[in-house]
Amino acid sequence: MQKAAPLTKLILTVFVTIWAIMLQSIPALAILIAAQLLILILSKVSAGIYKGVASLFIFAFLLGGLQYVFSNDIILSVVTALKMTAMTLVFAILLATTRMQDLSAALVTQCRVPYEYAFMLTAALRFIPDLLTESKAIQEAQACRGFSPGGNPITRLTSFMAIIKPLVLKSVSRSETMALSLELRGFGSKKNRTFGSNVALEVRDYAMLALMTAITISLILVRF
Amino acid sequence: MLELKNISFAYKAQSPVINNVSLTIATGEFLAIAGRNGSGKTTLTRLIMALKKPTSGEITLDGKTTKKSGPADMARSIGYVFQNPDRQIFHDTVIAEVAYGPEQLGYSPDKVTEMVNQALTATGLTELASAYPATLSRGQKQRLAIASALAMEPKMLILDEPTSGQDNIERNQLMKLLADLNKQGLAILLITHDMELLAAYATRVIVMDHGTNAYDGTPATLFKNTAQLKKWGLTEPTAMNISQNLEDLGIVPTTSITDLSNHLIDMMGRSTHAKSSAAY
Amino acid sequence: MTAITIDQFSYAYKNNQKVLDNINAVIEEGSFTAVIGPSGAGKTTLCLAIAGAVPHYYGGSLSGNVLVNGMSVRDTTMPDLAQTVGTVLQDYETQLVTMTVEEEVAFSLENIGLDRGQIATCVKEALAKVGLTGFERKEVSALSGGQRQRLVIASVLAANPKILVLDEPTSALDPEGTESIYQLLSDLNKQYSITIVVVEHETAKILPYADQFILINGGKCLQSGYPAKVLTYMWKHKIYTEAIPPLWQLKLTLEDKTGFQFADWKNEDDAASELRKLIQKEASISA
Repeated sequence: MQKAAPLTKLILTVFVTIWAIMLQSIPALAILIAAQLLILILSKVSAGIYKGVASLFIFAFLLGGLQYVFSNDIILSVVTALKMTAMTLVFAILLATTRMQDLSAALVTQCRVPYEYAFMLTAALRFIPDLLTESKAIQEAQACRGFSPGGNPITRLTSFMAIIKPLVLKSVSRSETMALSLELRGFGSKKNRTFGSNVALEVRDYAMLALMTAITISLILVRF
Repeated sequence: MLELKNISFAYKAQSPVINNVSLTIATGEFLAIAGRNGSGKTTLTRLIMALKKPTSGEITLDGKTTKKSGPADMARSIGYVFQNPDRQIFHDTVIAEVAYGPEQLGYSPDKVTEMVNQALTATGLTELASAYPATLSRGQKQRLAIASALAMEPKMLILDEPTSGQDNIERNQLMKLLADLNKQGLAILLITHDMELLAAYATRVIVMDHGTNAYDGTPATLFKNTAQLKKWGLTEPTAMNISQNLEDLGIVPTTSITDLSNHLIDMMGRSTHAKSSAAY
Repeated sequence: MTAITIDQFSYAYKNNQKVLDNINAVIEEGSFTAVIGPSGAGKTTLCLAIAGAVPHYYGGSLSGNVLVNGMSVRDTTMPDLAQTVGTVLQDYETQLVTMTVEEEVAFSLENIGLDRGQIATCVKEALAKVGLTGFERKEVSALSGGQRQRLVIASVLAANPKILVLDEPTSALDPEGTESIYQLLSDLNKQYSITIVVVEHETAKILPYADQFILINGGKCLQSGYPAKVLTYMWKHKIYTEAIPPLWQLKLTLEDKTGFQFADWKNEDDAASELRKLIQKEASISA
């Protein structure tokens, strides 16, 4: 799957979503999910992805349970949960098998998304681990000052606020430095931006796209 | 006061970050930890502070195990000053910041005020008591972090590379402060890459190398072993390098530039004197 | 050829606080210059002025001018200057914006619109220059501090700048890491004639490499020129003497007290061999 062009995978994402909406039977949806899991396994993704996938399943299960509580319709609940799983799983495939640089190159050059938006996506993903590290460091600093979690909800809330403030200050100064360094590296210059990654479609991609279209058409024919 | 017995720590069993370290730290010591980045210096102090729990081994404080203690418990005895002062400042004024620790420990308001005032006096921050911490210079922020730790009346202060990114004026001020606090009986544990500073202030050095305490002794003995120094990624102070190089000419090895220059002046003075008397 | 001319340059940030006051200095092409001075002296602002971030990013008011390769920073945009001046900020970690090593280096090149083939070649070259060949697919978060610093240098080198400006590049590194970064900069300076400007607190670290010092204090340029000239000036006038490297404290003390004149020591070996000769000569005379 890593070898497929990012655009192919983006289109796959759209198609799988359509299929998940169209399919109504439990076995059909189960096959779709199984196929996606197979793709993940064949792509040899890292262990961390499976953790994410597991949490997707749990989330879908809870959603199905909630549906059952309100509708009392077991079939409908299972179908909803399966649809939910099928739709989200494809995003896991997309993100696990595509490098961010390729994805943003595909979004900008082939899907005509403005570069600034595509960059925002990558920058945000880059930001998250830093924020987590930072908030952990602040919590540790607090612990070294005699703070121990616990106590009544109000003291817990105030202590949480104490973490938020330095975190926000730090994030703001970090994003300012980032803006400066982006300018220093020629970001936003008037010249046409190019991309270092090759995201062009190859024979393999056209074959996959043809297959996806065929599946969709046959689904439509079966349904109507 | 503090004892580490066969301490190991690992994220992955195959590659321990700290490998079977045993050492004791006595009351009032001025101890420096040196070694490469990634050799385990910071991890060792984090284990002492209970920010991390050892995979095996035991740490005791005044003879009592710290197995069940968290960082908040350790904070009563040990103050920890992080490398980046921005991460440990949470409040809007210097005085509120320093008061946070003693308040968390549950002291009475009067006692808190007393503790805060003492800490501010010790660090020379009394006049900045109502200042907004973000507007302080880096050196002042560092002092604030020290004051915040001191306010909890610890017996030991751990500082992780406190002089990095500071100029030499700030550095000298900070070291003078630490030396003063040490004289008053506070144990100092300093992580540093600065060998000049280590030679001038520390009475004991621990060198960390691949997670073990490869050296534990005085700075003077440490710097005599040139081959080992290189292996541990350390350099000699300038005076030591030159004086050892000239040892065969009768120069006494020293880490102090003043001692070395006095000795050299003495030698040259003697020979110029001999030269002028020979002319007669 | 002159790489950078700082001509009667004064600057105040938006809050009217004057940080640079009538600075005059010349940096020759192919030189290795260290900007020294106490904290808050204006060293970082001077670097930002060479990169054009002052005034283009920060606003504020200025007089005089900074000329980079003959271009006035006042009239040249930051992206255009970026092709001549590569800047490594003090907080270099923040300068890394992508997930993997090769993306990071490619980023600057994509911004200036190179085609794919050129980008691949430049990325390869830049990583080779800083010794990170083989790290292309590595995640930035998996690199050590020294490797990240090298990556930032590679990512600005990729655009082939004539001038490299670095603000305290080694403050987070250990002695070996520091030495290897300065050795790298020195190699880039000698092999590719890249003009290097470095802000450094610790003059002892930079002494073996720099051929020019610029001393800034309180927003004023007090002295610039050969390291020997600037260090002697600081010693004679008792200005920021804390920053004089131990090696030069020894040299200048000995010169004052004994009347001997020593060479411009760059490292301990220079000192030891000259002192050895002198002691032996003196001993043979007195014998």
